[in-house]
Amino acid sequence: MTAKAVDDHAHSEQWAETSHCRVSAVRRFGAFTAFELVAPRIAGKAAPGQFVMVTVPGGGFLLRRPLSMFTVHGDRAGLLVEARGAGSERLAGLEVGETVDLAGPLGSAFPTKGVTNALLVGGGIGCAPLQYLADELVTAGANVTAAFGFRDFRAARAAGAFAVERLWVASEDGAVGRRGTVMDVLAELDAPPNTVVYACGPAAMIGAVQRWTLEQGLRGYASLEAHMACGSGSCRGCVVDTTRGKLRVCSEGPVFALDEVRP
Amino acid sequence: MTPPLELEQVMLAVELGPLRLEHPLVDASGTFDLLEYARRYRGDFFADFPYAAYVPKTVTADARTGNPPPRVTETPSGMINGIGLENPGIDAWIGGLSEWAALRRPVIVSVGGNSPDQYAAVVRALETHLASAFAATVPRLEGFELNVSCPNVAGGPQIGADPAATAAVVGACRAETTRFLLVKLTPNVSDVTLAARAAVEAGADGLSLVNTFKAMVLDRETLRPFLGNRTGGLCGPAIKPIALRMVAEVAQALPGVPLVGMGGVISGLDALEFIACGATAVGVGAANFTGFEAPSRIVAELRAELAARGFASPAAARGIALDA
Ligand SMILES: Cc1cc2nc3c(=O)[nH]c(=O)nc-3n(C[C@H](O)[C@H](O)[C@H](O)COP(=O)(O)OP(=O)(O)OC[C@H]3O[C@@H](n4cnc5c(N)ncnc54)[C@H](O)[C@@H]3O)c2cc1C
Ligand SMILES: Cc1cc2nc3c(=O)[nH]c(=O)nc-3n(C[C@H](O)[C@H](O)[C@H](O)COP(=O)(O)O)c2cc1C
Ligand code: FES
Repeated sequence: MTAKAVDDHAHSEQWAETSHCRVSAVRRFGAFTAFELVAPRIAGKAAPGQFVMVTVPGGGFLLRRPLSMFTVHGDRAGLLVEARGAGSERLAGLEVGETVDLAGPLGSAFPTKGVTNALLVGGGIGCAPLQYLADELVTAGANVTAAFGFRDFRAARAAGAFAVERLWVASEDGAVGRRGTVMDVLAELDAPPNTVVYACGPAAMIGAVQRWTLEQGLRGYASLEAHMACGSGSCRGCVVDTTRGKLRVCSEGPVFALDEVRP
Repeated sequence: MTPPLELEQVMLAVELGPLRLEHPLVDASGTFDLLEYARRYRGDFFADFPYAAYVPKTVTADARTGNPPPRVTETPSGMINGIGLENPGIDAWIGGLSEWAALRRPVIVSVGGNSPDQYAAVVRALETHLASAFAATVPRLEGFELNVSCPNVAGGPQIGADPAATAAVVGACRAETTRFLLVKLTPNVSDVTLAARAAVEAGADGLSLVNTFKAMVLDRETLRPFLGNRTGGLCGPAIKPIALRMVAEVAQALPGVPLVGMGGVISGLDALEFIACGATAVGVGAANFTGFEAPSRIVAELRAELAARGFASPAAARGIALDA
């Protein structure tokens, strides 16, 4: 399917203008912080898999940070942030009432049309876009199973941020869920032949999920990460190698067909 | 001190050589893509285009796939990029011109290459196309900017670091066009006025400066070069003081030559500083990455900064930082 299907989806609505959004709720789950923001324009246009470019408040940073849409409820856009460096640390520290600038939604979305069985595979903070995807799939009547892997106890407490009915969790130190990686969970799952796989996480995980999906004769999608400058197709800073050549994660992606990525 | 003016008393229009610009701000090549923004805009972006002229990303004779990723990251008060002049090549580029023919602003085409022949081939291809294209199918291509200063392409030193090589490129292009011809200078030299003078003597009508500073960023964990190309070009606020110094040096050495100053312009005051150092127009690069609204904000701030100081126009402030 692939290239064509994702191409169709690359034309999900994208929006470069900036919205000033008030943080309306904050909850911390181990290493991750979940936010809800009042963002009617973004929430009204978004589709699962898309992201926003977020200005780090305080003026000390030049580039905006890409963050996935974690949830959408009415006029509220949800984000899930893991502090990894100075910018995401500042974002993770936002409190209710503060205002942040977001531009989006940007990028391609996960194709969901006609899907009856979905398997969502996430690693670490890569689980963030899969919550919004799960919500949409469930609303559309699909059967959704999720397998999320985390590094350690602190990261695994983040599993509490997710609300997916059939959720299997693995942690490398065994602190939460099954000891091991998300691949160990997949090995034990029985995926019906029409299952569509959706993956987001570290490159090594995407590679393993890609091999597993092909072995099972399934199809799927992967959401990739790249360092970005413009976030909206202008600078060609965010390209990744694919079977279709170098493509921009911010505009042709972040969602690509699983068999076209080269993790 | 001159008394302040009302905002509407400030006339922002400037003349960059033969180009009439509504205000001094242009985008810096490679940082702002008209069509990508138009796709992500609610209204008519061609009509609302925020810059006074459009400088597209550098185009070369042949298609280039650019450097391996990663290609960008943030640095203290700036950023580094190693894109490597990814572009579709001049033939495909010309093929796409009709898509943005509706842009009302003048366009300055940024041209790259590895030899005088390659630069001249791009200019010639465009002139040939313009000579027989229906006017409604092409944007207002009114000038060229010869990018002799990209630090991110393999194969020898930058042409712009060598005044004779710079002159050869300019001469080859001058023979192909009578349009306004800018040369974009590299800051990776000890005396920027040497290539500046060589370019003007070879027929350039004006100069743009600066391009990015060749630089390196390491991966924090592996301590190996972070960018796929190992090195890249540094820009943003970190380079502004050096860029200002270089613009002033060129303005001083070559009075009367129109200059497009750039490097770290984030605010209207930054833009005014480049004008005070002798620039007629000002390029905005990395600031485009801070938000879609950056160009219109900087134009509004420039107006306010001029008004606050009693300058009725950018020309009134031009060069006041230079030695008498
Ligand atoms: C499409 C997409 C969706 C993402 N969604 C989420 C999300 O929902 N939640 C979340 O916590 N994180 C997400 N990330 C990763 C997040 O953007 C980075 O963790 C963040 O930019 C790091 O910034 P920093 O200042 O803390 O790190 P630093 O390392 O100090 O940042 C330096 C520069 O590198 C960039 N950078 C560093 N790491 C990454 C990375 N992994 N990916 C992209 N750019 C990086 C920064 O944006 C900045 O420009 C996403 C990334 C992409 C590309
Ligand atoms: C991502 C990126 C791509 C660039 N591409 C080009 C290019 O194609 N041609 C060019 O002449 N300059 C290019 N530049 C340099 C800018 O045009 C500008 O000279 C430089 O960034 C300094 O301005 P700034 O500090 O405002 O960004 C690029 C800069 C960046 C950040
Ligand atoms: S970040 Fe600029 S093109 Fe993707």
